[in-house]
Amino acid sequence: MANSLRLYLACIKNTLEAAMCLQNFPCQEVERHNKPEVELKTSPELLLNPVLICRNEAEKCLIETSINSLRISLKVKQADELENILTKKFLRFLSMRAEAFQVLRRKPVQGYDISFLITNYHCEEMQKQKLIDFIIQFMEDIEKEIRDLKESVNTRGRLVATEFLKQFM
Amino acid sequence: MAYLERASPTLKETLLKIYRAEKPIEVDQHFHEFGSIEYHIKYSVSDPNIVHVSTSTLLETQGAVTLKEISSHTYEVIKNIGVGVIDIVDPPRLGFQLTLGLNLDNIPRGKEAIKIITRISELQAIILSSQLKEMLRSLNFQDDSRSINNMPIRIVYHPSEPFYVFKQPEKITAVFPMNFKDNSDVVIATSFFQELVEVGSQKDMGKAPQCSWSPIPPLQLRGEPVQDLTTNSGFVSFDITSRHIEGKRLDKTVWNLLNFYACAKYHIKCSRGYIQRRMRKRMETLVKLLNNTSLEEEAAQNENGRCKYVKEFVKVPKRKLMMKQRCKEMTRRVKISKFRIKINGCARFRFNQRWISLPKFSSKPSDKSYTKLD
Repeated sequence: MANSLRLYLACIKNTLEAAMCLQNFPCQEVERHNKPEVELKTSPELLLNPVLICRNEAEKCLIETSINSLRISLKVKQADELENILTKKFLRFLSMRAEAFQVLRRKPVQGYDISFLITNYHCEEMQKQKLIDFIIQFMEDIEKEIRDLKESVNTRGRLVATEFLKQFM
Repeated sequence: MAYLERASPTLKETLLKIYRAEKPIEVDQHFHEFGSIEYHIKYSVSDPNIVHVSTSTLLETQGAVTLKEISSHTYEVIKNIGVGVIDIVDPPRLGFQLTLGLNLDNIPRGKEAIKIITRISELQAIILSSQLKEMLRSLNFQDDSRSINNMPIRIVYHPSEPFYVFKQPEKITAVFPMNFKDNSDVVIATSFFQELVEVGSQKDMGKAPQCSWSPIPPLQLRGEPVQDLTTNSGFVSFDITSRHIEGKRLDKTVWNLLNFYACAKYHIKCSRGYIQRRMRKRMETLVKLLNNTSLEEEAAQNENGRCKYVKEFVKVPKRKLMMKQRCKEMTRRVKISKFRIKINGCARFRFNQRWISLPKFSSKPSDKSYTKLD
């Protein structure tokens, strides 16, 4: 793993560990409702300052915290057109199947490629440390998968091109 | 446009079915292939010796000469597939360019029959190739004069896939304007074209036609219809030299040029499928990872540890278990009778309690009161 990536992930991990102390908190606006405050943002006193962690201009992570929920938004590096299309395709594929992930948001926050929404209920059902590890693993996997996919598509294209031109000889 | 396999699978299958049928069967089949190729197969029980195969395609060439019909040379090639087997019906069936009458009785038996039927199924490939072959032959490589002959020739075998052929000094250039519907297709195709140019420039590929890709049309296509020159994936050009149309190479060159669109599209389709497969696999891994984080999972794991003991109990044979239960029941009853809580009407039994000793009932064989005799 590149040194800059390791530092970037370590920073996100530490921030998540600090931010993920959620508790049950009923909605102050609507009686007998319990909503993620980070999404509604109706009561400023329930929100913490958002943290933006940037690896570079194209790769960043926004962590927004509230009393009962946490929102993590990721922007993945897209160096060229192929990476751009692969990233969009892959993250859209995952977002469309958000129900399988529980903590994945169906629509990413504007300006980001994918978002997670973790509520106090998730923290009660899952182990906090493993949940953080999952987010970090997810980020690593996405980057690796896109890199591999790009390489495979290019390699396949090269092989097809070689075979096509060989037929003329 | 042409396709990767020369023989039409449906035509081949139908002809083989008719050929292999023990009794004559009525066939009146009408089908399309690749959007622009149309076939009609007619076989009647009243005339069991002849199968009529009609075909038509979008065969349009515009340039110095405009060709819309099948040439006499192509007719000759088709007839030579099976002498005595194929008759060209004149005039062709209404709405078709060519109608063939096939005499099934004249087809030799055995493997030769399958060979001839496969060759007949290549009818469209023959028609399409013949035209391009003739064009490449007619464009004289040695003649460098800037005549009308140097005008680009527009070849349309599929309405959405026209391509151009024009003459340049010592070479003929085939230009393919590339268009794709989907954005991701455009990106995959562009990457493929760049690879094609890179591979073509390698030393090993020196004998292959020089390939180039450009997002803007070549100068020679100036004045051609705007819709043809408006592309989203640029223009791919192949420079065909005299070497590529010598002898048997001509057939290969023509077939490869006809197949270029199909080849690019097939590559894109396969790449998309591969990407989809990889994404699905990765998603499964991630979901599994997330499922491991749940507390229930941990609790289940702990329970699994205990289950071993439960299994041991369950494994006790039925007879032993029943015996154990009976013993327990007996002990319980005796205990009740010795209980110190007073129950009205039962006082008279309390007197005897001192002498009542609580017997132990056990199913263990070691507790049984017998000694083994030697």
